Amino acid sequence: MDAYLVSIGIVVLIYALLAIGLNLQYGETGLINFGHVAFFAIGAYASALLSLKGVPLWLSFPAAAALAALAAIPLGMAALRLREDYLAIVTLGFSETTRLMIQQEEWLTGGVQGLPGVPALFASVGTGARNLMQLAALMVAVMLAVLAIRSLQKSAFGRLLRAIRDNEAAVAALGKDPAGYKIQVFMLGAALAGIAGAFYAHFVTFITPEQFVPLVTFYVWMSIILGGVGSLRGALVGTMVLVVFLEGSRFLRDLVPGIAEAQMAHVRLGVVGLALILCMLYRPQGIFGKRVG
Amino acid sequence: MTFQRRKILNMAVAGAALSAAPSLVLSQSGNAFRIGALNPITGAGSPYGSGMQKAIQLAIEEVNAAGGAAGRKLEGFYEDDQTQPQSGVLAAKKLIEVNKVQALIGTWASGVTLAVMPLTDEANLIQMNVSGAPAISTLDKKDLVWRFQATNDRFGAAFAEIAKKRGFKRPATMAFNNASGRGNTDGFKRVWEAAGGKVVSEVVYEPNRPSYRSELQKVLAEKPDVIVMGSYLPDTTIILREWYQSGDKLAWIIPGWAANPELIKAVGPEITQGIISVETVSNDGSSSNKLFSERFQKAAGSAASANIYAAMCYDMVISLALAIELAGDKATPQQISNRIRDVSNPPGTAVSSFAQGKQLIASKQKINYEGASSKLDFDASGDAKPDFGVYVIEAGQLVRRDTISIS
Amino acid sequence: MSFQLVVNLLTNGIVEGLVIALPALALTLVMGICKFPNASAGDTMTLGAYAALVLHAGGLPMFFVAVLGAMMVSALVSWAAYRLIFSRLTQAPMVASLLAAIGLAFVLRSVLALSVGPEARTFKLPLVRAWNFDGIRLLPTDLMIAAVAITAVIAVFCLLGLTDVGRKLRAVADNPDLARLSGIRSRRLMWLLWAVAGALAGLGGVLIGVKGVLTPEIGWEFVLPAFAAVILGGIGSPVGAVVGAVVMGIAQELSVPLVGPSYKLVAAFAVMVMVLLFRPAGLFGTIEKVR
Repeated sequence: MDAYLVSIGIVVLIYALLAIGLNLQYGETGLINFGHVAFFAIGAYASALLSLKGVPLWLSFPAAAALAALAAIPLGMAALRLREDYLAIVTLGFSETTRLMIQQEEWLTGGVQGLPGVPALFASVGTGARNLMQLAALMVAVMLAVLAIRSLQKSAFGRLLRAIRDNEAAVAALGKDPAGYKIQVFMLGAALAGIAGAFYAHFVTFITPEQFVPLVTFYVWMSIILGGVGSLRGALVGTMVLVVFLEGSRFLRDLVPGIAEAQMAHVRLGVVGLALILCMLYRPQGIFGKRVG
Repeated sequence: MTFQRRKILNMAVAGAALSAAPSLVLSQSGNAFRIGALNPITGAGSPYGSGMQKAIQLAIEEVNAAGGAAGRKLEGFYEDDQTQPQSGVLAAKKLIEVNKVQALIGTWASGVTLAVMPLTDEANLIQMNVSGAPAISTLDKKDLVWRFQATNDRFGAAFAEIAKKRGFKRPATMAFNNASGRGNTDGFKRVWEAAGGKVVSEVVYEPNRPSYRSELQKVLAEKPDVIVMGSYLPDTTIILREWYQSGDKLAWIIPGWAANPELIKAVGPEITQGIISVETVSNDGSSSNKLFSERFQKAAGSAASANIYAAMCYDMVISLALAIELAGDKATPQQISNRIRDVSNPPGTAVSSFAQGKQLIASKQKINYEGASSKLDFDASGDAKPDFGVYVIEAGQLVRRDTISIS
Repeated sequence: MSFQLVVNLLTNGIVEGLVIALPALALTLVMGICKFPNASAGDTMTLGAYAALVLHAGGLPMFFVAVLGAMMVSALVSWAAYRLIFSRLTQAPMVASLLAAIGLAFVLRSVLALSVGPEARTFKLPLVRAWNFDGIRLLPTDLMIAAVAITAVIAVFCLLGLTDVGRKLRAVADNPDLARLSGIRSRRLMWLLWAVAGALAGLGGVLIGVKGVLTPEIGWEFVLPAFAAVILGGIGSPVGAVVGAVVMGIAQELSVPLVGPSYKLVAAFAVMVMVLLFRPAGLFGTIEKVR
């Protein structure tokens, strides 16, 4: 049972990194990114492929972050020229394109068959202790991310981001070019997602393109909305609620016999959808946040 | 910063809760041998999964009724791999880490077996499967993995033999994009080209698509006289329907797990007329097969002959139990694994049940378990070599027309 | 690339494009008036397909009756969605409606998967063999699909162009405030709009199902190509949506020999990005601010 709880803790923290990144993009800067899972995927595959070729993990993790950040540049540039609904669709298309490319280019990624045998983080340690160490490493990563975002929020950069979110025209009128900032924000959020992806790959040790579908992006959106958009604390709380729900539904199966795991997956989809609708209708600001948008 | 402190406090509380939570010890009896049964209860393998699980249960009961293996009772833990590698990995982790199983048996899809092997190898556990991908043999470095089904490579060789016998000259191949599907068609191509023939078109298609029209059109453009498939039931259904609509005439050679009664039901007798279905055949006529079939029919309510994989799973438990009996009650999984050939391969007195084998082992005789699914003479890679049955679908029924042995 | 292959691809592309035209039309109508992309259109398509499946299997005499029934079901669900959800979000920021639409898409998909099951299903229609003109294959089913799609499109154009209701819709699309000032009662109008959009999407879903197999995911896969069609044609322009859809369909099919069938979606995405970069108003749209 402890092993199970540790695993849940790991999943919570991985999603937390994703949520912090998305919150930076949408909550702080108002960029609608519906393609967040693409950076998660790029980070996971980058680190997995590098480590399978023998690159040590302390190198492959930063490489994953860097590659994800680079991939964010075209999206950042798209964000400059597109209205928010177009940006939403384009980012969605970007993540699906990424997934399809991972699926097709099997000479690189193993294609639909996936990459089995990805070296686990802290592989030299026995299984029980290993998960605890992974959890600890993730805690450190999340705390660093939180510290970084906090200081960013208090800085001039952060003020500028919120100004862009609230009134971009004014910012431009004041002579500051929002363009560069938007790109940087996209890259930063993507880098965080890339690190999350690397942790994920070296935790599950088997990655396939199917794990990186748009549903994951919307799970993360659900987290930040539930917790309250724009609030860092909200992002973390929202993530915990999300994962409790996702994992809790597994136990629900034991209580309510007759539901196969495959069906439970559909139930989860429906519940997340319903939660999105209800949130938008009745409490768009979530638990801790200001209003959406 | 209040937030930081709160967060650290939260984490500390969680950590304390973790260490305080009682660990659930899940193995009851002291020295029981724990078997993890990972079967495709849902997904593409679902026609076979429940039967496979039932067969494992039957075998475990049989062994325990005969007093256990080396005095150890067998204990079964059952999970569904959903015929998906990812679900298989999660279920395997649970079986290994939570249930602490010592053998993980019954995986059907090659993708699942390949994904699960790194986990069982790392934990030094025995793995037994009915998957076909050739890669399984090459990746089995510790000789812990045992395959009870013919490799896809040998399936492909059987396809080539059949195609030659029936006089086809222009074969094309279509393969599901995974290790198993491509193993089939690669095996076919190798043997066909070695005999001087030429494959006119080869296509690999992606899983879970609603239509394969483009891929089919590509193949049909080369005017083949037979299409050799490495496929599963859902995609075969779609391809056959689209082929029928295209109006081209040609023959089909399809593996038995795809061209089965479910396919006939899904697509209809007219479209399936004349399709050649190839599957490994059980050790018909052996007493172990008779015994198993009777018990399976009674327990599962369906004929064992419709599910060759059930017979294979039954054999997994029996050969495992016999190996444990030989290796002794203190043996580790690796040591037990090393004895499997000693109980299944010749020379030795042929036995057809666990009780019989146990008795002979007690009197220090060398035994050779002849299984319900095949003779179970494992080669150096841990692969069994069953024979193949050639069936033709005639008027909505699978009719056995031929048997093929590949060395 | 032989001539036959090109012709086959073209015909496949036109038929698929006409099928995409229906949800594209639904999207452009809603986007033009309500100003947000209705991401639930795809799963409304799936709903329509499954509704037809259930109605047809339930013993309705002719398939086309089941299709009409399916259109009514999707119209109803779409109207209900507007009434219960989207009408309450008109004052909220656009992203709220968009997220609610995504939520609705998930709900529809999960309900369908749970009630009908995730395995692929097919309509119980007789399989017909294609006419083969020396390598150029023409499937009679495809012709029927094209005919139905074209009829639906013409019907919608008549509605918009020739009826009073259509005129009012166009007025609301052009300038909502002015329309309200001149006394156009918008509530019933919106109901009609969403019902029509739903019916179109549902019909599109049925046609996809006729062409291939039904799974709970089929509709969602059409959302991006449909959006690409709308953007290509110019948001708010019904003619643009249809033309854009046919162009998208052809472009996707022609990309297959070059990059393989799995990249069809990417082809749609690429077209969309090109349009947004170089001609954001699309083929027929007004110079609506993209930025």
